[in-house]
Amino acid sequence: MRESLCRIYTLAKRNVKEIMRDPLSLIFTLGMPLAMEILFYFLFHGMTAQFDMKYLAPGIVVFSQAFLSLFAGLLIAQDRSSAFLTRLYVSRARSHEFIFGYALSMLPLVAVQSVLFFVVGGIIDPTIWSVGVLWCVLLSLVTALFYVGMGILLGSLCTEKSIGGVASIVIAGQSLLSGMWFPPDGLNGAILTIMRCLPFKNATDLMQRALAGFTGAADFFIPFAVVIAYTVVVIGGAIFAFARKMRAK
Amino acid sequence: MSAAIEIRALRKEYKHLVAVKELSLDIEEGELFSLLGVNGAGKTTTIKMLTTLTRPTSGDALIFGKSIVSHPEEVKGLVDVSMQETAVARKLTVEENIDFYADLNGLSSEEKAAAKGEIFDAFGLAEVRAQRASTLSGGWQRKLSIALALVTRPKVLFLDEPTLGLDVLARRDLWRLISGLKGKMTIILTTHYMEEAEALSDRIGIMDKGSLRFVGSKEELYAASGKATVEDAFIELVSGGGCHA
Repeated sequence: MRESLCRIYTLAKRNVKEIMRDPLSLIFTLGMPLAMEILFYFLFHGMTAQFDMKYLAPGIVVFSQAFLSLFAGLLIAQDRSSAFLTRLYVSRARSHEFIFGYALSMLPLVAVQSVLFFVVGGIIDPTIWSVGVLWCVLLSLVTALFYVGMGILLGSLCTEKSIGGVASIVIAGQSLLSGMWFPPDGLNGAILTIMRCLPFKNATDLMQRALAGFTGAADFFIPFAVVIAYTVVVIGGAIFAFARKMRAK
Repeated sequence: MSAAIEIRALRKEYKHLVAVKELSLDIEEGELFSLLGVNGAGKTTTIKMLTTLTRPTSGDALIFGKSIVSHPEEVKGLVDVSMQETAVARKLTVEENIDFYADLNGLSSEEKAAAKGEIFDAFGLAEVRAQRASTLSGGWQRKLSIALALVTRPKVLFLDEPTLGLDVLARRDLWRLISGLKGKMTIILTTHYMEEAEALSDRIGIMDKGSLRFVGSKEELYAASGKATVEDAFIELVSGGGCHA
């Protein structure tokens, strides 16, 4: 058990360095969402409720996590396409240790994302400061696991060349099906039902409700359960897909 | 000397292809054994089976008495491999690469420091220790890639086409390093370069279409083929008849 944890930590430490040394990953996971938070607030604030900071900041946190799918997937696809991962397969590391190593390596970035976007949001609109911010930072680790898990799954299935296009579907899904940029209540019933069944809107709802303060148990448990269910499925799928690729090597 | 590797009727089938056909072979401890063959001869598949990267369809091999089929985890602790493509973490420095590989394989701080010192000395990597792997030339990257395989001080080292794509100076430099490892561990080398096998090997095996066509020393190869160089002997055996020394 201790040996396994050491290997997971070693893999995660290496992955953190790989990600932090890639300027593009920092631009897309931190720089661009931060610019969107500031610009969209000042451009559209007051036009719809979505651009009030109490909705925008938690929405941006989840939106920025969608980019983790891209960069987690890219890292795995690059590792898979090179002989580097083949070398690691000869070590005693198991497939689930690789997966947890990739997943854990993203969590420091997730923490930086949520703290940064709430601090900047709180400077722009100090009314958002509440105990809800702490809840959001904690819950962001949960919602991030879904996006990171999705990235690991896609990285295990796609090639280095195709991962960009496929992961952009997740980013587009987060943009269009989360309801963070427009009021979803105006949409027709079928689309709204689809949005409620998918994790994107639930992840965004969870964060927005955490900041506002949950009004009841269902307010928390329904989106939380949906996000957790999808997370379990994608991480289970990722371990299965990664193990298959390992054996195929 | 005792056998480090005992291969018994090893076979690997893919959907529409038999990559390795009932391969049987003993390799002695401390020997440098070269496996030659054209593309698709089954060399890399053999290495993948012996390093537990892929399971044989049938047959078995014992690495220092441990079965690759029934005890792959124990075999992993005895072997390491340098694949034909450079296998390094490109955004890590040379030293970080070595530290990472040592930590992943559970080396203690003392073992890691000792391994690093030996590798820096033998490969001359100390001068580039703080450089990211991606900024190194192809030759230096390949050196690092081979050096990583030595971090765990394996009893058996597999070198799959170690000098593929390198210029002549880098290749000769790697030959010197590989020669320096002879006797310290058992080395299995696959290569397309006949002069490489000629310069480095204690014994040579020639594979063709998944089968072993010849096993023996250079001298035995010359005698069996009636040729004076490994290259000529190889062509004779692969395009003509087969023989076993």
